Amino acid sequence: MRCEQVRSLMNEYIEGSLSEALRERVGAHLSGCAECRRELRFMRAIWRGLSEMPEAQPPADLHARIMTHVRANTRLREASPRFALWRWAGAAAAAAGLFLMGFFAAQSDGVQATFGLGGGRTAAVETPTPVQAGVFIEYRVVEQGVRLPVLEARMNRAANAELRYAPDAQKPPTLVWQGTLQPGKTVEIPLQALLQASNERALTLWWSVDGQRRVLLVPAGYPPAKLASIRLQAKLGDALRQLASIYQTPIEWQPHGEEPLVVLDVQDATLEDALRQLLQGSAYTVQRHGETVRVVAH
Amino acid sequence: MRRYEQKVYQLAYRLTNNPDDAADVAAETFLRMYNSLRRFRGDAQLSTWLYRVVSNVFFDFRKRESRHQHLPLELSTEDGEEPMELPIEDESVDIIGHALQEEQKRVLMEAIQQLPEYQRVMVVLFHIEERPYEEIAQILGLPLGTIKSRLNRARNALRQLLEPHRELFEVDSRPTIEQPQEASDAL
Repeated sequence: MRCEQVRSLMNEYIEGSLSEALRERVGAHLSGCAECRRELRFMRAIWRGLSEMPEAQPPADLHARIMTHVRANTRLREASPRFALWRWAGAAAAAAGLFLMGFFAAQSDGVQATFGLGGGRTAAVETPTPVQAGVFIEYRVVEQGVRLPVLEARMNRAANAELRYAPDAQKPPTLVWQGTLQPGKTVEIPLQALLQASNERALTLWWSVDGQRRVLLVPAGYPPAKLASIRLQAKLGDALRQLASIYQTPIEWQPHGEEPLVVLDVQDATLEDALRQLLQGSAYTVQRHGETVRVVAH
Repeated sequence: MRRYEQKVYQLAYRLTNNPDDAADVAAETFLRMYNSLRRFRGDAQLSTWLYRVVSNVFFDFRKRESRHQHLPLELSTEDGEEPMELPIEDESVDIIGHALQEEQKRVLMEAIQQLPEYQRVMVVLFHIEERPYEEIAQILGLPLGTIKSRLNRARNALRQLLEPHRELFEVDSRPTIEQPQEASDAL
């Protein structure tokens, strides 16, 4: 028997599925061929390595994620037979990087904004009592277990603002909304259509007011995870996006200077603990602001 | 249900090598199972059905997600240089042996990820999930002979991918009973 023939039968030989006669012939060749024995050792080590692969630790929020996905999608599909087609179309168009979707509208607390990918115009129509100025991410519970994120922007002065969607660092961000904020008026931008079109667990958005930019990491709205085990090394922005996704908690970040490389290795940690470790020795600190966590420069 | 969640997640993780993607695949698997529960006639084992749905979700997921980039989980420098060396602190445990095993697993998982989707599913189902050929044939809806020949191709492809790391696999770091090498290999 030649070496090539023996090597072509190596897997069956290891498995023990060769006929008795063939097995004996292969065995006879192996006892006299050091190269083929070396190959056999290599193949056996691969088989052994595969069978000894350790179990992966599921994320702490796995059950919640499954239940939310099932509940949200069964309801939406039951409510609208066209939903699956619409969602497919949205995801396909987003993948192609198109400006699409027309305009979406949302109404809540008497204040309304319309927007569309590619640059819509705001239509703030009413003036509620001014509250705190700034940008906020709020989750509206529309059904049991289904939470949808809404961006709220309020200012105590007139200012030009824009919202961009930045799926990755390589591509230029897409304009989602642009307009002028009026004192005391709140603009609300519902984000569920963008989430569905992007098919992401957490959106990376750039919110700019008068040219000053901050990054908003907005998760889809699954139930938040209290504890998680994470090991990663990444640039700060990517690491924060991972945390927003894992803990399903919005994170606001004001980049300041060069983006540092950070390392995180925590077991069963809260978001605050994970952030503290992540930002140790950096120029940033953490602040809690309602549902949102803010990462700001010292 | 939580028992099946673990099962589904494990398979999804082997196929995606990414915890976040694996959780997404698991969630979609349960959605599809919920939607088609009425059509499950019981002519296949529940586990076979489960594996079939996970495999199908994974194939769809890969088609859709091929544009996504994932963060590296291993410790490596920003410009893709060699991984950082971690200080050895406790010499009482077999640190080198452990590190070799860890590296072997990492290299194996990476090689599996480079296989085409169908080959990857077959390798994971047979070698890691330890499903018999007959069940894999049911899961993937292919004849038994096709499964065997394709799996053989997949193993050979995996072997080729691992060739640059041969040394890692030739060093057995685990304690073994010494046997004459010639005799043990030829048997």
